[in-house]
Amino acid sequence: MAEKASLVRFLPVPSPSEQTVWADVSSLLNAACEDLQEGELIHGENFSLFAAMSALEIMDPKMDSGMESCGYRSVEEAIENNAAPIPLNHDRTIDVQCVIDVMDHLLACEATWHTGHSLAQTVFSCIYLLRLERTSLHPLLHTFCRIIRATCNSVISVVSDARTHEEEDIFIMAHGLPLKGEGDEKCLSMLQAVEETISRQLRACKALSSNKKVLEDIEPLQTKFDLEEGYCKAVLCRLRFRKHFYHTLICMRKPQGKGFELAKKHIASCLSELAEMVNSSVFLSSNASGICQTDAEDCTTASGCQPIGFDASLNGRFSAPTPPRAIKIFGWKKAVKYFEKLLHDLAIICSFSLSPFFEDVLRFVGQFQKSKPDLVARAHLHILLVQDGKLYGRDYFYDIISRAISLPDVIKNQELHKSDFVVQLGQLVVNLLKVLCTNAAWQRRKLGKILQDWSVTSVQLELALKRELGELSKLSVDENICIKLSKLLLIWSEEQTFWIASRFLMMGFELELYSPCEYCMVYWYLYIIFVKLLEKTQMRLAASLDTSKKKGKKKKDHPKDTTIDATHFSPLVLLLRCYICLSEGLAMMLAALSNERMISQKPSIFNSEQERFIQHFDLLLKAHVPDHISYVLFKKSTVHTQLTSVMKYNYFGDVQRITKELRGSFAGDPERLAELRQIEQVAEHNRIALNVIHQAGARDQSLKLRKTSGRHCGQMNAGGAFGGNRGVGPVPPEKGIFPLDHLHECDLEKKEYMACLKSSNHLSEKCKHFSKKYLQCRMERNLMAKQDLSELGFREELDKEGSKERDNKIEK
Amino acid sequence: MNSEAAEEGTMITSTSASASESEKVDFSSSEIEYVSYGGEHHLPLIMRLVDEELSEPYSIFTYRYFVYLWPQLSFLAFHRGTCIGTVVCKMGEHRNTFRGYIAMLVVIKPYRGRGIATELVTRSIQVMMESGCQEVTLEAEVTNKGALALYGRLGFIRAKRLFRYYLNGVDAFRLKLLFPPLQNSFLLPMNKNDGHYHQDYLQQEGCSESHHG
Repeated sequence: MAEKASLVRFLPVPSPSEQTVWADVSSLLNAACEDLQEGELIHGENFSLFAAMSALEIMDPKMDSGMESCGYRSVEEAIENNAAPIPLNHDRTIDVQCVIDVMDHLLACEATWHTGHSLAQTVFSCIYLLRLERTSLHPLLHTFCRIIRATCNSVISVVSDARTHEEEDIFIMAHGLPLKGEGDEKCLSMLQAVEETISRQLRACKALSSNKKVLEDIEPLQTKFDLEEGYCKAVLCRLRFRKHFYHTLICMRKPQGKGFELAKKHIASCLSELAEMVNSSVFLSSNASGICQTDAEDCTTASGCQPIGFDASLNGRFSAPTPPRAIKIFGWKKAVKYFEKLLHDLAIICSFSLSPFFEDVLRFVGQFQKSKPDLVARAHLHILLVQDGKLYGRDYFYDIISRAISLPDVIKNQELHKSDFVVQLGQLVVNLLKVLCTNAAWQRRKLGKILQDWSVTSVQLELALKRELGELSKLSVDENICIKLSKLLLIWSEEQTFWIASRFLMMGFELELYSPCEYCMVYWYLYIIFVKLLEKTQMRLAASLDTSKKKGKKKKDHPKDTTIDATHFSPLVLLLRCYICLSEGLAMMLAALSNERMISQKPSIFNSEQERFIQHFDLLLKAHVPDHISYVLFKKSTVHTQLTSVMKYNYFGDVQRITKELRGSFAGDPERLAELRQIEQVAEHNRIALNVIHQAGARDQSLKLRKTSGRHCGQMNAGGAFGGNRGVGPVPPEKGIFPLDHLHECDLEKKEYMACLKSSNHLSEKCKHFSKKYLQCRMERNLMAKQDLSELGFREELDKEGSKERDNKIEK
Repeated sequence: MNSEAAEEGTMITSTSASASESEKVDFSSSEIEYVSYGGEHHLPLIMRLVDEELSEPYSIFTYRYFVYLWPQLSFLAFHRGTCIGTVVCKMGEHRNTFRGYIAMLVVIKPYRGRGIATELVTRSIQVMMESGCQEVTLEAEVTNKGALALYGRLGFIRAKRLFRYYLNGVDAFRLKLLFPPLQNSFLLPMNKNDGHYHQDYLQQEGCSESHHG
């Protein structure tokens, strides 16, 4: 048909030079356009997917965001049209009702923002917040808006300082919004004053209703006497929640966890005020007088009324460089649940003992992550763990490492922080802690990457050690210490490497990355990793005992077998043995079932199990964790496995035997006991399943096998201490996706711009050259529609060096 | 041409193997005709299907981008003259590997669950393999069980989970299919007319007798 017209190709544009002659081609273009049918295009060499996708079809409501917002074009226009009146109503009862609705809707917006949406489309869809100075005549609304704004600032600051918001990078984008204002530092005292007034009103009304004499003459909160108590209470708990929440955030930012005790008290108060807020919803909804929202679950206020003064479309131009997507604001109940969870997660952080032992830190972070904390809580944890390059802002990381490897005192003080390797390992530890604070999906990917760094460091340590041993002939005491240090560091860094690898593999279960036919190879690899981890742990324990023995030599003689005891029967070692038996047992059971054709697996047409093996363990194989692992080895060790041999080795029975022994050592440690219980259950289920299958023989297997596989995968996962699913089920996208800067290609530019904004008091005009750089970066990486910068408001101040060229253009 | 945009979050791949029982159409697999993209007259058919089944609004230029640059990777399925399914793909260099990318895959509801999507995508992957791709990738929502099962059967693994890949908070899987290093050792057992794919991409395919279940 019209293919020719639509495939006209242009020659590459020559770069502008002195000889460039500029000509007006408008008429040519117009003529060309007349030949083009609708939907056809002339495409050049740089016809990219993003360019194609960025073409918006005007007047198509799916693409043209202008079509959708039939609302106001500016905040001023909205205000002129009475979209956010002050007072909210001239009837003082209705006014209070409306203010409470605004408060509730803001809570819902805040929770929505925290879970990864833009500030502009959530909290700052509130017209009162956008023009805060207008509210000064309404003290209640005014103080509430102020403390919301201060809280937002505090959250943004912790999240951007922690930089744990990988992939969630729209969270802190706030330019263009009136986030900072004078007087926000006084918001707490303002709130105190308003709170006192309302408490007095509450007391007065209580006194009146019990016919007591009123001490002072107080104007009530609103006009209906029978509702006075209810509204006073509803407002008070909302104000107090804000007060304690803000305090919590401030206390948690105190260095070295010094504000944790106070924070815990504020968290407790927050939770009780939240409960009060929930209680008030019956009263509020029964006296509601506004327009009711339809669905109870989606309702963003306790009263069930539509709040006034919100318009998300007003900020359209601040939200994203592509058409803004409709956001579903959390329902009020869901928002309350979100805050309860956030507060619980923060409370867990506040209760941490700040142990100086690296093992404890890792365990704590693992335990903390089990409940799937959201971004804000994770950011607080990160800020706690790494402050000023020190653990908790208190302990040097070389101290942490020396404690972990039980270094003899001789070296501790002088040598350690001078060693390049210790510095290098310290940096790896900082990175590891940072990664462990990110969300599970990102964390697994990053763990896979840092594995390489740990492995490289281990190899370097090994080489250094060999060199030192080579020079052994000129042995002196000092050199001996050096060798000792290198040895200990090597063992420790290898141990950490295998720990990271085990976590990496286990997290694949949590993230549902393995399909049932891949379980066998995953458990097999896990088994290998656990064996290596155990080996290194035992070496470390033996070495540390060696050290302490030397120290204690004079005091008393250790019995000969202490070393063996500690390295073979310490709880940590036994626990690792459980994991080894469990993963080996599961791998062998699955291998046997597949060898005896009880699990049938259709071969795929494009590749084989080998390619799936390579892809799943790519990062481990590349990092040589451990060395000499291959698909061939996996096949060799599983291809001949039969059910009878799995029965004979009695893996699951062994697990049960060890867990029994361990229970005593873990008494008083509920987390460890829970872990043991899970391990026991997995072992028990699979032991029984194995027996049943073995007895039943080959008949009627499909049903049973489905049962067993359901058990082992789900529960091995849980047993591995990383389990559990997110409470909220995901919803498929309504209108698709917006290209985030997933690869962080423009991070530098973004940071420069943000830093400039910070230093120039958020006067974006002063940072125009930075925002230009940032936008250019996004355009270059196809993270934004390519557009002439002049259309984006960069006109006069641009290209001072390029102005000559432009002048030339104009002349010709 | 830049593959990053497609890799990093602009495309939705959607397919479904499950069908609602009530809407099923009675037909035999041999009645389905598979056709390689044959030119401008196919474009409105692809657009209509994708527009109806996927929520992402694509401009006509997005479709043109794919079908003009890689017509050999796009296929349509017809039943009695009506287009009932389509697949749209691309391929190119990505970090030192030559990789294929499946951008859109649609089969309309009454025809799902009969292997049509599998056949469509298999044809595209076959061409990618023969064109020297080392691997094929795509993203699928974690909720799209049908698509995940379909690609799992074809040998894709779930390489990564992408946290809140979509703005409304849904996660995605990045699926990957690695081809074995020796391509010739893996010929399609069910594909009788293998030779058709090699050079003559734009020719019309006849009805495929064999069907992948």
